[in-house]
This record gives sequence, C-alpha cells and structure tokens, in this order.
Amino acid sequence: MRSVSDLDAYRAWASTPIAARPTYSVVIPCYNEELRILPTIGAIATHMSTLGEPWELLVADDGSTDATVQVVEDLDLVNLRLLPAKQNTGKGDAVRRGMLAARGDIVLFADADQSTPIEQFERLLAEIEAGADVVVGSRAAEGADVANKSIVRKIFSNGLRLVVKGIFRIPVADTQCGFKMFTSDASTTLFSRQLLDDFSFDLEILYLAKKFELNTVEVPVRWIDAPGSKVDPKKVAMDFLSDLSVIKRNDRHGRYDKPNHTVVEHQRRDEWSGDEQIHKAA
Amino acid sequence: MDVNEVERETGTITVSLLGRFDAHESERIKTQLHDALERGDHNIDLDLSEVNFVDSSALAVLTSSMKRARELGGDLRIVSPSAPVRVIFELTRLDRAFVIC
Repeated sequence: MRSVSDLDAYRAWASTPIAARPTYSVVIPCYNEELRILPTIGAIATHMSTLGEPWELLVADDGSTDATVQVVEDLDLVNLRLLPAKQNTGKGDAVRRGMLAARGDIVLFADADQSTPIEQFERLLAEIEAGADVVVGSRAAEGADVANKSIVRKIFSNGLRLVVKGIFRIPVADTQCGFKMFTSDASTTLFSRQLLDDFSFDLEILYLAKKFELNTVEVPVRWIDAPGSKVDPKKVAMDFLSDLSVIKRNDRHGRYDKPNHTVVEHQRRDEWSGDEQIHKAA
Repeated sequence: MDVNEVERETGTITVSLLGRFDAHESERIKTQLHDALERGDHNIDLDLSEVNFVDSSALAVLTSSMKRARELGGDLRIVSPSAPVRVIFELTRLDRAFVIC
C-alpha cells in the first residue's frame, strides 16, 4: 500500500524548506485538539508529500486552552506554520487567518479530526484543474460515503439544507463539510470579505462565491463522524438560522463590496525569492 | 476495519488490520488484543501495513496492550507500518516506546 519512497518524501518535506512557491497549501483550523492534531498532521503530511509538488501546512489555532499549540510547536516541521490566537474567536476566524496566510496556488482547509480523509484531496483537485474556483467536499452529493453520523446530526443537516437551498438558492447540498478547496484568487476574494467567525462562515463563503459568480463545484467525499466532535448540532442549527439573516443584511448594506481583511495583516513573504511582498487583497 | 488473526507458534500470533483504526474500532480491537494476551498469546505482532490512519484512541489501545504484553513477559510489536502510520508514531514519539520492525 505505501512504499518506502512515501516515507522519504515525507522526511524531505519535514526537514527541508521548500524552494519554490507552494503549489498546495493545507489549512487545519483547530481548537483544543491536543489529542487529535498529531495523527491528523501525520496523515496529511504523509499523503501531501507523495504528490510531488511543493506544499505547505498551516495550523490555525483558535485560542486553544490545552496543549495544542505546544504540541504543534514541538514538532519542528520546517514547512508547517503555526498561527496561534490569543483568544477563542470561532472556527471561521481560524479558517480565515489560515486561508489568508496561505501561499499556495491551491488552498484546502480540512478539519482537525480527519473526518474527511486527506486521500480525498485529489478528488477536489481534479475539479480545480477542470476549471472550478471553489470545490466543496460533500456528504450529501450523490456518491458520498458517510459513516457513523448520528441521527441528530442527520436531522439537523437535512433541515438546514432545505433552508439554505430555499432562501439562498445556493446550489450546494452540503455547505458545512469541513473539506473545501479554493484557487488562490478565489480564496483571497472570499476570505478577505468574510465577516462571520462562527460555524456559519461556511455558508457565508458559499454565499459570497455565488455573489461573485465563482465557479463552485460539489464533490462527493468519504466522511467518517469522528467522536469528540465540537459540533453541537442543535446549537449550530439555531445560530445558523440567525446568521442567515445577518449575511443577507450585510450584503444589503454593502459590507461585502470591498475586502474587510487585507493581506497586510497576514504577510505573504516570498522567502524563496528573498523579496517581501505585501499582496493586497483583491 | 478488517481484522485477521493468525497463530504462528504457541504463544505468538500475528494480527493484521486493514483500513482505518480509529475510535469506532478501538474497543473491539482492545478486546481482541487483551483476550489474546489473557489466553496465553503474550507475543503479538501487529501488522499495520494495510492501515491508513490511526487516531489517538487507537494509539491508546496499542499502548495499553503493549504494556500488558510486557507485564506478562511478552511484547506487542508493530510490524511493517504503512508510511502514514509510521509518521504518526514518530510525531507522537511512540516509535521510541514500541518495537517497530
């Protein structure tokens, strides 16, 4: 299944700074994941290193109060960037910071519990290579393989799906799956405008993708419900419904017309060229 | 996840796992390993060549089983771990606790 060369590829990535702009960036948002983060980093780092392209890993911490930050710092992986936060603000904030700091041509954010195995990366990549700007891993698209999802989560997921499609007309069956891929330009356009910091940020991003007419594709993925999930389905559903009206109101008031976060906050330093370039958000 | 158990000689078995070893599987595997230890199979070679992911609960099961095996005078060895599993053992520093061959 895996060869010695896969191990060699990982070891090279782990110890040698990439010498070119990364083709891929993988962003892992996390909050109090001291137990789950290392296996996830191991799985992602091994797989991504086999793809034969320079790549970087960003761990965007959301103000963890456990040992997550220390555990990641101690790894000393040269192509891993840790983005700590002083306080817990919400998954949306962590994802945004990670996405705006990413330097890759193609950027994926993936949940810290590996509920969507990283081996699904190539499924989404194929759509980017076919011309998509945004690719949504989906538990609801035909062909998806969903394991161990609780009945409560299923009920709330299906209910929200109906509301999102009916009110927002977003043609995505699963807005909430934490496995989404973007071109660099799409990522900058969307995440520089994102305003929501909680779990509704996914919906906001897809709303903006529709607003800016970005080519958004949904791809069925394999998904395993990981125990210890921080998602409280009922609470998320109630917050979600409230945030739906916030997104609409923000748009009516023109709050998405220009970026709300500039990349000056998250400098993208071209270390490989020796130049420091401040990329302004689109 | 598929599990295959083969007795190589008296007191020594090879257990081969296939697939994802996570919290959904950990109790079942823990029971199987501890049952093997209690019936006298104190040397267990755990073949992880076809396992693509182990999470923290799986690692906890392996650690507790290894410790029990050693208490009984045997060992639980990790055999031919796949690349991602090998890396996970290294990142968690469990490669220093287990015999990996």
